[in-house]
Amino acid sequence: MQTIAIIGASGNMGSAISKSLSKGNYRLLLCASRQDKVQAVVEEIKSGNPAADVETIDCSVEASWEADIIIVAVPFAAEKEVAQKIREVANQKVFISISNPLNDTYNGLVTAPDTSAAEELQKLLPNAKVVKAFNTTFAADFATPVIAGQQADAFIAGNDEEALQTVSELVSTAGFNPIVAGDLAVSRTLERMQLLLIQLNMKYDYNWLAGWKILHQ
Amino acid sequence: MYELFFQKFQEKVPLTDEEQEQIKAYLTPKKLRKRQYLLQEGEVCKAIAFVERGALREYSVDNGSEHILQFAIEGWTISDLFSFLTGEQATYNIDALENAELVLITKSAHEELLKKQPKYETYMRLLITGAYIALQRRLTSNISLPVEERYTSFTEMYPDIAQRVPQHMIASFMGVKPETLSRIRKKMAERK
Repeated sequence: MQTIAIIGASGNMGSAISKSLSKGNYRLLLCASRQDKVQAVVEEIKSGNPAADVETIDCSVEASWEADIIIVAVPFAAEKEVAQKIREVANQKVFISISNPLNDTYNGLVTAPDTSAAEELQKLLPNAKVVKAFNTTFAADFATPVIAGQQADAFIAGNDEEALQTVSELVSTAGFNPIVAGDLAVSRTLERMQLLLIQLNMKYDYNWLAGWKILHQ
Repeated sequence: MYELFFQKFQEKVPLTDEEQEQIKAYLTPKKLRKRQYLLQEGEVCKAIAFVERGALREYSVDNGSEHILQFAIEGWTISDLFSFLTGEQATYNIDALENAELVLITKSAHEELLKKQPKYETYMRLLITGAYIALQRRLTSNISLPVEERYTSFTEMYPDIAQRVPQHMIASFMGVKPETLSRIRKKMAERK
């Protein structure tokens, strides 16, 4: 059984990911700066599924050291700091980045056009297997991955085949339809797709329950 | 995190700092808590584990009884080599007898290193040769020596393991019932 460390597990995205992955055959280590908040997430998971293998852990380094897969569910601005901290113990591990490098007014990205948050992270962690995932799904989608009768797609980008396979399984467990979009550079597109979705959400009031679906034959 | 790993490596094959850094990039640090599995029968063994700290055992289960094949403490490696090398399902379980700090070499890292670093290949050859010799020794002593002698040589060769591991597991490792081992120990104590 694989162990997943979820850093930032008390936030909107972190708790949503934790809850949905607790349905799978994984051991979850939930980590956040606020112990009481993350403990509440564990209790909520346990009350719905007493058999879930989930617990809190108060140190991101310890959590990542124990883990096979690391999910960093913190905003873009905080992501690098977390990465620096767990750098050594993340060696060779699947490192899932969910962040979108949005500016303060949500009308653009803070990253240059020729890079992405995920690629910047990979530079910082050259020996980790950085994978972009769960960045085009809103937190509310995790409770309702089937929206208006359609299962939302969730895109995955990364450079390591095995890691992409591992993350595809995670995405399926969470209830989304996994689509491997390409190598890590495709994150540039994926991060901009979420920028568009956020803008559309605000313009048309989707109530933060919206997602992408590729229609095809 | 990798101190013992490289100490053992350098004892057999000296490395420059640069070579050490190159190899380090492919290693996975992993903590395991007591009683947690590193590998379960039926999975594919994806890594060779080197023990930096703690103790593990490898065992098979048939009809509910466990047969311990190997222990591993600091400085040892443990893996289901058959499964690791062939990609077929593992026939053994590996779990932690104590909280453990491991250095894992995954299959893909192993293959990359074999291609890129000849010193790694040398080290692996020595490691696997050593494992084969140990296996042959164990087999020979199992089929030719009385239990008492096997127990004595085990405690002499591996005093640390004999101290840290519960007696019923040592019995399982020797292929005898716990009662038998305890009788032998008593007899040996009386003789002293």
